Amino acid sequence: MSSLFLFLVVLTALLGVCHGENSKDTYWLLRIKSKLVDPERVLENWSPAADICSWKGLTCSPDQIHVLGLNLSGSGLSGSIPNELQYLTSLQTLDLSLNSLTGPIPPELGQLQNLSILLLYSNYLSGKIPAEVGLLKNLQVLRIGDNMLSGEISPNICNLTELRVLGIAYCQLNGSIPIEIGNLKHLVSLDLQNNSLSGFIPEEIRGCKELQNFAASNNLLEGDIPPSMGSLKSLQILNLANNSISGTIPVSLSSLSNLTYFNLLGNRLRGNIPVEFNRLFQLEVLDLSRNNLSGTITLLNTQLKNLQALVLYDNALTGSIPSNFCLRNSNLQQLLLARNNLAGQFPMELQSCSSLLQLDLSDNNFGGELPSLLYELENLTDLLLNNNSFSGNLPPEIGNMSNLESLYLFANMITGRIPLEIGKLQRLRIIYLYDNQMSGRIPRELTNCSSLTEIDFFGNHFMGSIPETIGKLKNLALLHLRQNDLSGPIPPSLGYCRKLQLLALADNKLSGSLPLTFRFLSELRTITLYNNSLKGPLPSSLFLLKNLKIINFSHNRFSSSIYPLTGSNFLTALDLTNNSFSGPIPSRLALSRNLSRLRLAHNRLTGTISSEFSQLTELNFLDLSFNNLTGQALTQLSGCKKLEHLLLNNNQFTGTMPSWLGTLQELGELDFSSNNFHGTVPAELGKCSKLLKLSLHSNNLSGIIPKEIGNLTSLNVLNLQSNNFSGPIPSTIHQCKKLFELRLSENLLTGSIPDELGGLLELQVILDLSKNKLSGQIPSSLGNLMKLERLNLSSNQLQGEVPHSLGKLTSMHVLNLSNNHLQGRIPTTFSSFPLSSFMGNDDKLCGPPLVSCSESERQGKKRLSNSAVAGIIVAIVLTSTVICLVMLYIMLRIWCNWRNVSISTSDGGGGGGGPQHNNKREDQVRWAAFGYWKVASLALVPSQDKENSTSSCIFQLKVDKEAIENT
Amino acid sequence: MASLTLSFFLSFLFLFSPALSTNSEGNALHALRSRLSDPTNVLQSWDPTLVNPCTWFHVTCDSNNHVIRLDLGNSNVSGTLGSELGELKHLKYLELYRNEITGKIPKELGKLKNLVSMDLYDNKFEGEIPKSFKKLKSLRFLRLNNNKLSGSIPRELVKLSNLKVFDVSNNDLCGTIPVDGPFATFPAESFENNRFSGPELQGLAPYDFGCGST
Repeated sequence: MSSLFLFLVVLTALLGVCHGENSKDTYWLLRIKSKLVDPERVLENWSPAADICSWKGLTCSPDQIHVLGLNLSGSGLSGSIPNELQYLTSLQTLDLSLNSLTGPIPPELGQLQNLSILLLYSNYLSGKIPAEVGLLKNLQVLRIGDNMLSGEISPNICNLTELRVLGIAYCQLNGSIPIEIGNLKHLVSLDLQNNSLSGFIPEEIRGCKELQNFAASNNLLEGDIPPSMGSLKSLQILNLANNSISGTIPVSLSSLSNLTYFNLLGNRLRGNIPVEFNRLFQLEVLDLSRNNLSGTITLLNTQLKNLQALVLYDNALTGSIPSNFCLRNSNLQQLLLARNNLAGQFPMELQSCSSLLQLDLSDNNFGGELPSLLYELENLTDLLLNNNSFSGNLPPEIGNMSNLESLYLFANMITGRIPLEIGKLQRLRIIYLYDNQMSGRIPRELTNCSSLTEIDFFGNHFMGSIPETIGKLKNLALLHLRQNDLSGPIPPSLGYCRKLQLLALADNKLSGSLPLTFRFLSELRTITLYNNSLKGPLPSSLFLLKNLKIINFSHNRFSSSIYPLTGSNFLTALDLTNNSFSGPIPSRLALSRNLSRLRLAHNRLTGTISSEFSQLTELNFLDLSFNNLTGQALTQLSGCKKLEHLLLNNNQFTGTMPSWLGTLQELGELDFSSNNFHGTVPAELGKCSKLLKLSLHSNNLSGIIPKEIGNLTSLNVLNLQSNNFSGPIPSTIHQCKKLFELRLSENLLTGSIPDELGGLLELQVILDLSKNKLSGQIPSSLGNLMKLERLNLSSNQLQGEVPHSLGKLTSMHVLNLSNNHLQGRIPTTFSSFPLSSFMGNDDKLCGPPLVSCSESERQGKKRLSNSAVAGIIVAIVLTSTVICLVMLYIMLRIWCNWRNVSISTSDGGGGGGGPQHNNKREDQVRWAAFGYWKVASLALVPSQDKENSTSSCIFQLKVDKEAIENT
Repeated sequence: MASLTLSFFLSFLFLFSPALSTNSEGNALHALRSRLSDPTNVLQSWDPTLVNPCTWFHVTCDSNNHVIRLDLGNSNVSGTLGSELGELKHLKYLELYRNEITGKIPKELGKLKNLVSMDLYDNKFEGEIPKSFKKLKSLRFLRLNNNKLSGSIPRELVKLSNLKVFDVSNNDLCGTIPVDGPFATFPAESFENNRFSGPELQGLAPYDFGCGST
C-alpha cells in the first residue's frame, strides 16, 4: 500500500519535470545553436517561436515532450561540440557526423545516460577519447572514427556492455587493443583500421562472441594471430592487412565458417596456408599476399565455391596450381599469384576457370609452351605472364580472348610471329611483348586493335617495316620498338597517332627521313631514334612539338640545322651525338631552363656558344666535342653551376682557360683537349675537388703547371700532353693519390722528376713524361709504382743509372727510356724489353738486351769523367803509337838484318801480313757480336780505325735485333 | 579490396615495365650500387634510367658502349659483391681496392673473360678464391692481398698463362703454393703472412692435401 503511494508521488514528480524539461531543452538547444558555426544556415528554423519538435534535426518522443534524437550529420557545421549537449538528458541518438567540428569530445557527454547511438565520425575532432564515454551504459553504437583523435583506447569503453558497433578507424590512436575488449559480449562490428595501434591482438577477443566484422588493418600490430579467434563463429569479415603480424596462420581459423572476406596482406606470416581453409565455404575474398608464406597451394576453388578473388602474390609459394583447382561455373574472377616460386608448365587446369577476369602468374618460374587452351578464358581482361620462362609461339587462338585489355608477356622466351588473329582483340589496350625472342613482321592486323594505348615490343627480333597503317591507332600513347631489326622508312601515318607521348624506335635499321606528319604529334614528350640510319634535314615543322622533353637522335645521319628540335621549352635531354648536323647551336635551347643533358658531339656544328647559355642553371652534361665550334672566353657557361661533364674537346676554341671553372663544384670531367687554348692553367681549377678526369692536351697552354693541381685529390686521369708547359713538375702532384693515368709528355718541362711521383701508388695505365727537358736522375721511388703498366721517360735529359728499384715493377709491359743520357747496368728484369726501349742513351747503358756489362762495369767502377776518359784514350793512343813505332823500328831493323841474311824468300812474306791481320779483325767483330761486348769499348778496338769501330757497332745491333726477332 | 590491390599492382608494374630497358651492364652496375653503402656519394651519378652506364662516373666504356673499366678503388664503400658483376662481359679492369667490402668473392667473376686486372686488395673479403678464376684467360694482374681469404689457392690457376702478378699476401690461406706455370715466377712476398705449408712437392703426391692436415 505504501509502495503504491510512493509510486504515484514519483510519477507526478516525473511528469512535472518533463514539462519543465521541454522548455529547458529549448533553452539549451538555443545555447547549442549559438555555439555552433553554421555557414549553411541549417539551424535557421531553430527559433523559440516554433515548437522544438519541428526544429530541423530534432526527433521528439511521440508525446512531444522529450527530445530523443539530434541528427545534424553532413550539415557543414564547424566550431567545437558544445558542452551544453549534456543537458539534453533524454537524448537517445546524437549524430554530428560528417561535419567540420574541431576540438575535443566533451567529457560532459558522459551525462547522457539514455544515449544509445553516438555518431561523431568524419570531423576534425582531436584530443583523447574521454574516459567518461564509459559512463554511457546504454550505448549500442559508438562511431567516432575519421577524426584526429589520439592517445590510447580507454579501457573504460569496454564497460559499455551493450555496445554492438565500435568504430574508431582512421584516427591517430596508439597503445594496444585493451584486453577488456572481451567484455563487449554483444559487439558485432569492431573497426580499428588505420591507426597506430601496436602490441598483440588480445587473446580475450574471443569473448566477443557475436563479432561479425573485425577490421584492424594498417596498424602496427605484432605477434601471432590468437588461435582462439577460431571461436568467433559469427565472423564474416576479418581484415588484419598491413600490420607486422608474425608466426603461422592458425588452423583454428578454418572454423570461421561464416567468413566471406579474409585479408592478411602485408604481414610477416610464414609457414603453409592451412589446407583446412578449404572448409571456409562462404569465403569470397582471400588475400594473403606480401607475406613469407611457403609450401604449395592447397586451396581449391572446387571447395571454396563462393570464391571471387584469391590473392597470394609476393610470397614464397612453390609447386604449381592443383589439378582439381577450378570449378565449372564458379565466381572466381581474380587469381593473382605473382612473385612466388611457382614452377612447372602452364597450369592447364586454369582453362576451366572460365569466370576469370584477371590472371597474374608473373615473376614465377613457369616454363614450357603457352597452351592454346589458355585462350578459352574468354572473359579474361588481364593476362599477366611476364617474367617467367614461357617458350614457344603465341597461338592464333589468342584472338578468342575478345575481352582482353592487358596482355603482359614480357621477359619470357617466346618465339615466332605475332598471329594475325591478334587483330580481333578490339578491347586490347596494353600489349607488352618486350624481352622475348619473337620475330617476323609486325602484322598490319595489329593496327585493327583500335583500343591500343601502349605497345612495347622492345628487345625482340621483329623485322620488316613498321605497319603503314599504324596511324589507325588513334589512342596510342606509347610505342616502344627499340632493339629489333626493323628496316625501311618510318611510315608517315605514324604522325596521325596524335596522342602519342613516347616514341622509341632506337636500335633498329630504319632509314629514310623523318615524315612531315610528325608535326601532328603535339603530345609527344619522349622521342628516341638513336642507332638507326635515318638521314636528311629535319622537317622544320618539328618546331611545332612544344611538349618534347627528351630527344635522342644520336648515331644517325641527320644533317642540316638542329633548329627544328628547339620548339619546346621543356627539354631536359637532347642527344644528337654522331650525326652530320651543321650550322650554329640555336640560342633558343637556353629557353628550356630544365635542360640537364646536351650532347651534340661528332657533328659539323659551327659558330660560338650563345651567351644565353648562362641561363641553363640545371645543365649537368655538356658535350660539344668533335665539331667546328669557335669563340673564346666561355663566360657564357659560367652560370651552369651544376655541370658535371664539360667536354669541349676537338673544336677550334681559342682564348684562355677561365678562372670561373673553379666555381664548378660538381665538375667530374673536364676535356678541353685539341683546341687552341693558350695562356696558363688557372690555379682556381684546384677548387674542383670532385674532378676525376682532366684533359687539356694538344693546346697551346703555357706557363707552369700550378701547384694547386695537388688539391684535385679525386683525380683519376690527368693529361696535359702536347702543350708548352714549362718549369718543374709540381711536387704537390703526389696528393692526387687516385691517379691511374698521368700524361705530361711533349711539353717544355724542366728540372728533375720529383721523388714524390713514387707516392702515386695507383698509377696503372701509364706514366708518360716523355719529350720534355727533364734532367737529373730517375728517382728510385718510381720503383714503388707496383701497378704501373707503361712508363715512358724517353726524349729527356735524364742522367745517371736506371734505379734498380724499377726492376721490381712486375706489372710493367711497356717501357721507354730511350734518348736520354742514362748509363750503367739496366735491371736484369728488363731483359725482355726491346732494344728500342733503351736506344739513344749515348751508348752507355749495358746489360741485356744490350751488350754485356763485363767491360763497362770495370769502367763504371772507376767512375771516370768524360775528360778523364778522353785523356786516357789519348794516352793509350800515344803509348801504343810509340810502341808501334818502336816495334816498327825494331822490326825494320830485324827485317833489314834478315834480308841481309836471306834474299831468296822475299815474295810471300811481305803481302802475308795484310790478310792475316784482316782475318783477325773479322774474328774480333764476330766475337763482339755474340759476346755482347760493349759497343764503344775502345780498349779492345784498335784506336786508329774509328770508322771500323762504328761499322762493327751497327753490325752488332743488326745481329742482335735478328736474334730478338727470331725468339 | 582485391581489386584495389590489383590496381596497385598494375600501377607498380607499369612503373617498371616500358621505360626501363634490358641494358644488362647498366643493370648489373645498378644492382652493385644497391648492395653497397656509399657514405661519400661516389655512386651518385649512377642513374639507371640512362640508356647505358657510359656517362656514369667511375665507369669507362669502349667505343661500342661496353663497360671496360670499373674504378671504385679507395672510395669508402662497404657491402658485398653479387653475381651480377658477371654480366660485365667486356670488363678489363675491375678496381675495387681499398674499401670495406665484405663477404665472398662471387664465383661469377670467372665469367669476365676479357678481364686484364682484378684489384680487390685491402678489403674484407672472406671465403675462398673461386675456382672459376681459371676461366680468366686474359688476366694479367690479380691482387687479392690484405683480405681475410681462406682455403687454398685453386690449383687450376696455374693454367692462367698470361698472369704476371699474383698477390695474395696477408690473408688466411693455407695448403701448398703451386709452382707450375706462371707461379714459377711469383716472388715469395706475394704469399707471405698466410698459413701456407710451403711450395707444392712435385711428383711425389697429388697436389691438394687440403688445409689443416699438418
